[in-house]
Amino acid sequence: MTELALTGFLGLSAALVGIGIFGILTRRNFILLLISVEIAMNAAILNFVYFAAFPSGTHGLSGQAITVVLIGFAATEVAVGLAIVLALNRLKGTINVARATELKL
Amino acid sequence: MSLEELAFLALALVAIATAAAALLVRELVHTILWIAIFFVDLSAIYFLLDAPFLGVLQLGVYAGAVTILLLFGIMTTRKRIFSRESATGIGPVPVALALVTFVFLVSALGELPPSTSTIATYDPTALSENLFGPNGPWLLLLGLIMLAGVAGAIYLVREGRE
Repeated sequence: MTELALTGFLGLSAALVGIGIFGILTRRNFILLLISVEIAMNAAILNFVYFAAFPSGTHGLSGQAITVVLIGFAATEVAVGLAIVLALNRLKGTINVARATELKL
Repeated sequence: MSLEELAFLALALVAIATAAAALLVRELVHTILWIAIFFVDLSAIYFLLDAPFLGVLQLGVYAGAVTILLLFGIMTTRKRIFSRESATGIGPVPVALALVTFVFLVSALGELPPSTSTIATYDPTALSENLFGPNGPWLLLLGLIMLAGVAGAIYLVREGRE
């Protein structure tokens, strides 16, 4: 039987969200932005797996089921993000998000 | 300290180190390599938490498909894939915001009991029965959103758009 504490896992998630926010705020390359969002989203997905592994009621298994759905959502997000990368590269010749300013007032 | 705690500590340190390295290295191809290690490490954490189906799904979808998609994105947008990214200044404000987020989330952990507890294990059969039973609407929603995502991606990248 595996015995572990929940707090360590949640600390790992908090650190990963911090790293993801740092990347979103500092990077200007669209692909690096996508990677930062993926890191933060993986921290959120990890939380569902923890609370499935440490259930406090009868809903433990739903955490794992929701995780399957969330991994699919994240994959869709990357596919749409890369389509935006390709369209931005064709329009601007660069994927620097600081150069995409058409919608700014 | 038990073997499981030691394994989790090592996996957590590798996860944080590879995530930070992926955002701090200058070459984009090295970023992809670090993020691939990060995804494999997370799937090892899923296996540690007795969720083998999710571990395999993480390996297939993230370490496989998402990594290759990101690499493909780099290959199509650059003439030389080993070209360096121009340096971006790491200002004090983003670092401070990231630290504030981390400290805020960790301070909320004080509410939890720090004691260890036994990890619940589930049969993959039970997971599939739950996924296609009570959580079936979520799976349908995932299918619809993926369909919309694929249609949107094709619309964005098609040639000859005015």
